[in-house]
Amino acid sequence: MYNAVAIEDFGKPMVVLTNQGFATDARSAASSKGMRGIRVIPETVPCESNVQEQIETGVSAVMDEIITALTKPLTAEEKSPKPMKAEKSSGIIFKGSLEEVNRFFYQRGWTDGLPIIPPTEEAVAEMLTGTDLPADQVVTKVIPRMGKATVEKIAINAVMAGALPTYMPVLIAASQAVMDRKTRFDVFEVSTGSWAPFFAINGPVRNDIRINCSSGVLSPGDIANATIGRAMGLIIKNIGGARKAVEDMGVLGNPGKYTLVVGEYEEESPWEPLHVERGFKKEDSTLTVFFPNTFFQSIPGMTDANGILRALVNLRGGGMACYLLIPSHAKILSREGWTKRKAKEFISENTPAPPLSSAPPPGGQRTPPQPAPPRMKPDPDSMIIVVAGGPGAFMAVLTSAGGRGMGAFGNDFVTKKIELPKNWGKLVAKYKNIAPTYVRY
Amino acid sequence: MTSNKSNSQYEVLSPWAEVDPIPLRGISPRVTNLAGKKIGLFRNFKRAARPILTVVETKLKERFPTTEFSWFDSTGNNVLETETENKEKFTAWAKGIDAAVVAVGD
Repeated sequence: MYNAVAIEDFGKPMVVLTNQGFATDARSAASSKGMRGIRVIPETVPCESNVQEQIETGVSAVMDEIITALTKPLTAEEKSPKPMKAEKSSGIIFKGSLEEVNRFFYQRGWTDGLPIIPPTEEAVAEMLTGTDLPADQVVTKVIPRMGKATVEKIAINAVMAGALPTYMPVLIAASQAVMDRKTRFDVFEVSTGSWAPFFAINGPVRNDIRINCSSGVLSPGDIANATIGRAMGLIIKNIGGARKAVEDMGVLGNPGKYTLVVGEYEEESPWEPLHVERGFKKEDSTLTVFFPNTFFQSIPGMTDANGILRALVNLRGGGMACYLLIPSHAKILSREGWTKRKAKEFISENTPAPPLSSAPPPGGQRTPPQPAPPRMKPDPDSMIIVVAGGPGAFMAVLTSAGGRGMGAFGNDFVTKKIELPKNWGKLVAKYKNIAPTYVRY
Repeated sequence: MTSNKSNSQYEVLSPWAEVDPIPLRGISPRVTNLAGKKIGLFRNFKRAARPILTVVETKLKERFPTTEFSWFDSTGNNVLETETENKEKFTAWAKGIDAAVVAVGD
C-alpha cells in the first residue's frame, strides 16, 4: 500500500485492487501514511489465486469500478481532507467494577480476549517503579499507527497483562527491539502468515524475575514468561494499533501471540549463551526477538551426537529458525566437540533444498508459472540455538520467513540489552518470592 | 466474569496510545478519460498480482484500444520502492504514466 501512496505522491491518479477481506487494512495503511482518501476497490479473486478462471471472473466484475476510480472527479474531502484532530488519551477514562472495566476494555477492542487487571493510577504508579525513565518519555513509536510508546502506556498495558514492575525493563527493551528495522516487524506484525513475536531472555535478569528456562518453558504457568509476552501483545495492539482482522491480517492466527517467551538455561548449558554469541557480556541481560509462525517438536532416533544432529536437520528449520535444544542433548553434543556454530553449520549443510515447484492442480487452468525461488541452503547466521527445557528427549524448532541467507526480507534476529533501574536489587527482593508452590498429592 | 461481582470501583487509564497528527494529503486529480493514456500496472510480490493485472490490461485494451501500458514489478516483499535501489527506476516509471492500477495479490 505504501507504494500506492507513493504513486499518488507523484501526482498520478491510482486505484488499488485488493481482495474484499483486505480493503479495511489497505485503507488503514494508506491513512497511516497521511492519505486517507485513497481509492480502493474490493474484489473477489481468491487470495494468491493462480486459477485463471477465478481471476477473470473477479477482475471482470470490477472493471467499471476501476475506470470510474481513475476518472471520476475528486470530492472536496478527497481533494483536501480535513486535518486530523490531536488524540488525547490521558487521565481517567472509565470508572466501574472489575466486571464493568473488563467489558469496557473488551468492547473497545483493547484486550486479547482474556480478563485484564484494571489499570488504575495506583497500579500503574507501582508498575512505573520498575524503571528510572520518566512516565512521559517516548521510548519508541510502534507501527503501523506510529503510536507513541511512552513509558506510562507500556506500564498501563503491563498492568492489564498482570505483569510485575520488575518486568518493565524487559518490556521497554522489547518494545524498542521489535521496532528495530532489522526485525521487519512492519511485515510480520500484520502479515497473513500469523507471525508471533518470540523472545529469548539471557543474562542475570532471568533469575531475578524468575523467567522459566526449564521444564515446560513454553507452557502456561510462569508469571514472567506468561505476562511479558501477553503485555507485548497488548502493546502491539493498543500502542501500535495492529488489531486482529483489521490491520493484523493473520489468516489462521497463532496461539503464540498470547506469549512466546523463553529463558536460555545458561546454568545447564555447556555452551556460551546466546547473548554472548551475539556480542554482549555474560553479565548483561538481553532479549533476542524474531517472528516465527511454526513450532514443531521431535525426538531424535538415536541419542548420540549424530542422532541429535540428524534430528535437528529433520526439524526442517529453513529461513529463520530458533532451535530449542534441551540441556542433556547440548551436553552430549558438547562432549563430542560440537559447538553451537558447528551444529548450525551441520544443519545448513545437511538440510535438503525445498522442491522447485509444486505439482499442477488436478483440474482447471493455471496461470503461467512464476520464477522459482533460488535453491539456497539455510544460512547458519539465520539460525539460533537456545538451550532450554527440562528432562526428556524432545527438541523443537520455531521457524520464520526470510533470513539473511534467503534474501527476501533481509530480516535478522535483534538482540537488545535490558537496562535495569538503579534500585534493581530492592525491586527484585520485593517481587522475587512471587512464585507458585504446588502441593503434592 | 459473569457472577463474581464486586463492589470495588476502579478508575482506569487508557492503554490506547496517542499519535502525532499526520498532515493529511489529498489524492491526485483523476484523468478525464483513459483513451490514449499510459496506464501503469504496479504489481507486488504476491503471485496473484501479475495475472490480475494481466486481465486488467486485456480488458482495458478492449475498451480503450489506444491506451498504453507500463508495468512495474516490485521485487521485494513489502518494500517501499523509493527506499530501495529501485528508487530511480520507480520514480521514472511513476513520472512516465498518466494513471495506475495497483494489485497486491490478496
